Parts: sequence; C-alpha cells; structure tokens
Amino acid sequence: MSAEPASRTVPVDERQFSLILALIATDVGLTKAQILSTVTGYAGRYSVGGDNTALERQFERDKDDLRELGVPLETIDTAGAEGDTKLQRYRVSQADYPLPDDIVFSAEEHALLSLAAQVWREGSLSDDSRRALVKLRSLGGVAGDAVIGYAPTVRTRDAAHEPLTNAISRGRQVEFAYLKPGDAAPLTRRVSPLALVQHEGRWHLHAHDEDRDAPRTFLLQRMLGRVRLLDTPARAPRPDEAEHVMAELRELWQRSTALVRARPGSEAEVMLRNRRGSESEGDALRVRSTDLDVLADELAAFGADVRILEPADLVSAVVARWSAVEAAHG
Amino acid sequence: MAEARKRPLTAADKLTFLITLVPYLIEQVRVSVDEAAAHFDTTPDAIRRAVTLIATSGVPDEQGAVLPGAGMFDIDWDDFEDNDRIKFRQAPLQDQPRLSGREAAALLAGLQTIASLPDFGGRSDIAALMEKLTRGSVVAPAAVAVAATEADETLLTVRHAQAQRQRLRLEYTTTRGVTEEREVDPIRLDTVDGVAYLRAWCLTRDAERTFRLDRMRSVVAVGPADDHADSSSDPAQLIDDLAGQLWVTVRLPKDAVPLIADYLSPTAEFTEKDGTVDVPIALAHEGMIGRLAARMAGVGAIIEPASAVAATTEWARAAIAAQSGD
Repeated sequence: MSAEPASRTVPVDERQFSLILALIATDVGLTKAQILSTVTGYAGRYSVGGDNTALERQFERDKDDLRELGVPLETIDTAGAEGDTKLQRYRVSQADYPLPDDIVFSAEEHALLSLAAQVWREGSLSDDSRRALVKLRSLGGVAGDAVIGYAPTVRTRDAAHEPLTNAISRGRQVEFAYLKPGDAAPLTRRVSPLALVQHEGRWHLHAHDEDRDAPRTFLLQRMLGRVRLLDTPARAPRPDEAEHVMAELRELWQRSTALVRARPGSEAEVMLRNRRGSESEGDALRVRSTDLDVLADELAAFGADVRILEPADLVSAVVARWSAVEAAHG
Repeated sequence: MAEARKRPLTAADKLTFLITLVPYLIEQVRVSVDEAAAHFDTTPDAIRRAVTLIATSGVPDEQGAVLPGAGMFDIDWDDFEDNDRIKFRQAPLQDQPRLSGREAAALLAGLQTIASLPDFGGRSDIAALMEKLTRGSVVAPAAVAVAATEADETLLTVRHAQAQRQRLRLEYTTTRGVTEEREVDPIRLDTVDGVAYLRAWCLTRDAERTFRLDRMRSVVAVGPADDHADSSSDPAQLIDDLAGQLWVTVRLPKDAVPLIADYLSPTAEFTEKDGTVDVPIALAHEGMIGRLAARMAGVGAIIEPASAVAATTEWARAAIAAQSGD
C-alpha cells in the first residue's frame, strides 16, 4: 500500500529527507523500485508495472543533491549482476554519515567560523558556508556574529565560478570559451578542473587541458560565455592541489618582474609603488605579477603616465593594447 | 549573517536544517520550541513545522513496506501540543551530519582569508580549526583557496589607528591624479579581493568618504579621533570611484561583457544585436575614458559620444608617444 495519498504534492526537502531516512535505516540497501514505490514523495506517483521514467530521473537528481550536501550515498552491486541498475541497491553509509565524535568547537572557534563564512558575499561559496554553519550549530555552542571592525570580502563574481566549483566537487570535465590575450577570437577548451585559487585578487582555475594533455592555469575573467559541465569524469586532483598551485603562482610571481617608470606625482606612480612586492630601482620601479598579460592590462590602463622599460615582451604587449585602442577609435 | 537571512531558503537549506535539527533535539532531550528557534536563529513556527514533519516521517522496512504513521520517530505529542516542548523518545538520524566537500572548502578558504589579517597574525588555533574542518568533511574538501597577502605598512598604520580611535592625516592621490592632504577619522576597514578600503569621516570635506589604501602616498596618526556613527554603506558599494556622471556607450561582443564587469551599474540596460551589445556606462571623469577603452582593447570600443571617442584616440596616441620617448 502507498505511504501517501496521491493527491498531495510533497515538497522537495520533505521527499529528500524521507529518502535519507529510508537509506540510512537499511543495512542491505534498497533497490530503485523499492525506493520509488515506498518512500514519501515518490510513492504517491509510482505506477506498478507502468512507466516511471520521470520518477527515475527525479531520483537521479535527488541522489546528486544529497551527495552535494555531504550525505555519503553508496551503490551496492548484486553479486553476479554488476552494473545492473535494476538490481543495484542504495544506502547511506552509517559509518561515513556522522561527524567524528571528537570534532567539537569552542565558542571562539564558532566566532572564527562565522567570520570565515562572512568572507563570501555571494554565490555558491556563500550558500555552502551558510549551510555548513547550520550543520555545525547542532553541536550546541553558538557565538553571536563576530565583529572586528575589519571585514575581508572575497568576491566570486565571475559567472564561471559556480559551475567550476560544481564540476570540481562532482568530478566532471568542463568546456568553456577562453580568450587568450592577443588572440582575435576565443578558443574552446576542454579540461579536468582541479583547483580554484584566488591570487592577487584574481580567480584562477588550475586544470588539466584534455586536448593538449598538459596542466594549464586559466583566469576566470577570461572565460567568455557559459561553462558547460560534461558527462565525462574528470581526472582526480591531487590531495594538495590548491597548495601546489598556490606555491606555483607564488614562485611565478617572485620570478616575473618588470621595470617601469611612472610620471612623478601621477596616480600610476602611487599605485605601482604601493603594489605588493614593488621595489625602487633608481627612478624606476620593479613590479611583480604572475602573468605578463595581466600586468600588461594593468599598465595599459595608466596610458601616458607609465613607460615600460623591460622586458621587451611586456613593452610590445602594452603597446599592442594601445594600438588596438587607437585602431578601434580612429 | 543578517545579509544571508534575507534570502529565501532553498530546498537544500531546508533539508540541511532538518537533518541538523534532529541531533540537536536528541542532545537537548527536552527543549522548548522558543529555545530551539533561538538556537537556530529561526521562528518558532518554522521549528513547529519542521518537528511535525520529522515526527510524521516514515521509514520503509526491509521489505519496503511502510505503514502510515508507523515512522521510527516517536515524539511526546502531548508535551509538544500542550506545552510547546519537544521531546523525542526515539529517532533515527541522531548523528550530526558531516560537512560536504564544498561546505568544508568554503569555510576553509574563508579561514585562510581571515588568517592573513593583521588581527589574526600568529594565531595557531586557526590551523587546528582547519584540521578539524578537513576531518569533518565527508570527502576531501574541494580545492578552493585564497592566497594570503601580508599586510603592508599602510594597512598596519590604518588598522592600528582604527582600533585605537586615532585621527589620520593622509596624502591621497585621486583618480584624477591630484594629490591632496586630508584628515580623516577611520570608521571601517574592508578588503575586497585583497584591495583595502578605508571608510572614514573626512574632516577636510566634512563628509563620509572611501579611501583606497593603495592611493595613500603617506599616512600618519595625528591624535585622537572624534566619535562617528557606524557607516551604513555596504562594502560592495565601496568601489564607488568608478561611477559618475560622464556617460559613454561601449560596443562589444556579448560574451566579452565580463571584461568590463566592474564598470557596469547593476541596472545597466543592454541593447543586443547579432551577439554584440551596446552598454551605457557612467564614468567619474574624462580621465577614466582611456582606462575603460584599454580594458576592452582588441575586443570592443567606445562608440558614443563623439567627444569621448576622440579623447580615446588621443589618449592611446599619447601613451604610444610617451613609450617611444618622443
């Protein structure tokens, strides 16, 4: 018999809650047919011996949603029928579901976590940290919103940010149009996304470029149009991927320098002097950047207030930008 | 968090609340609806609805059969209905849930950002907290990270003055390239993507103003500051020095709009034609025209008004001339 009257529309959160309950209560796991025919939210629309395609699709989406929320969902193959989705059984791992007992937070730690969550102003990281705080609230101690009179904010405005975070956590390849500076048109890149890193105020994607079969780092700002999630599984990031990329970027930043001279008294002069890592060399400034093209963008913005002394590549990159501006407005 | 509360809750938020509420209620043994509402920063009604939903949820048995009302949750209904107290005699899902890889990653990267503030320099407890979060994640936290930046002299001086309620004297260079001396009383300090902004009462202008720390040529504390009301301005609106009264229209491929994202007003109206858009942009002054054009170099252009187009050409020619040393 059905667990619910067919007429009632069960809200998503209620259906997914019932699904978690059903899957954590079972030791041996439930088959898809058992789930769809008995769990609140599916059962009312299940047709015995009929077409349940729509319900099955909903179940697939629910599985993805639960995994996104950190519910450890397991798929168990029936011996001798590996890969047969009709015979596969599902359950929530009772070993992996609970937070380890020794993880408790002091009032001060709760305050730090609340500050950490406030770093994100928008987008998926803000939603994720809000939910994380709710989960940690069940541990009892709750601190009020910490106020230090000094708030760091990290923006995730790039439209690419959310799909890339999703792709990394789901382990899927992505495809996007990328405009390399100097190229006339963007090129489509297909990559395994490995880590998202903000360095010097810009978000970078570190990835394995599948077409070139080599690691590459992309600036999110230069991804044009939509980032598409592919069905193809991505190669797995190494455990310390983010630290690894960060160290690489830092090293690159140390090494890639340029010598520029800014008009005394100009805005360019004060901003370049105050830029992190800048050093005086006579009447010129040694400035650092992880990427010559990014630096060229920044320097080009200062127009006649800057003169680039070296390297020669940077001189031509900046002049190319000015020439392009002149040509487009001539 | 006041910011977050205004947004409507998603299904994911509601589900997270449900699976978190159960272990809390079990741990409390018996708790009033009001107390639970205060704990989760929600309304008593939201708690009552959630408790009713939880208490009437059923679990199919091993054969997949569910009897209506025969859930595994067993609540003291009388206590709930008569006294507004919640007491579960039995409940599955008593365990606190782990964090998802993305949830842990969001807090970890947030902590990294906090740890690089001068206020938190040298605190070892953040590392211990990060280790706990990593262990509390169901899978390895997604690789998201924010590079730490060391606080420079200017930031340390400004932060110290703010904390000690000191007045600051600045030599400040505006986007027009004019350097002025200002006396200001710090109100709030923010960093947005690593760029530090001081919101302060400017005694020179007798008004609240925002100052970018990297435009300060010098900064010194000059005695006690007056008291000022907290600034109500949103950090996101701090970057107001791009906005202004000089209207220009730019034309660029629709896909390239992200390149000029920080020049766009949230209400900007795009005119789209064949994958190309015309966007009106308000600039603070004429000196910003070349800067905007450079941002779109090779992709788009300023198309109106004619005076702005001419100024752009002039700007680019002057830059090329200065570079070649003419």
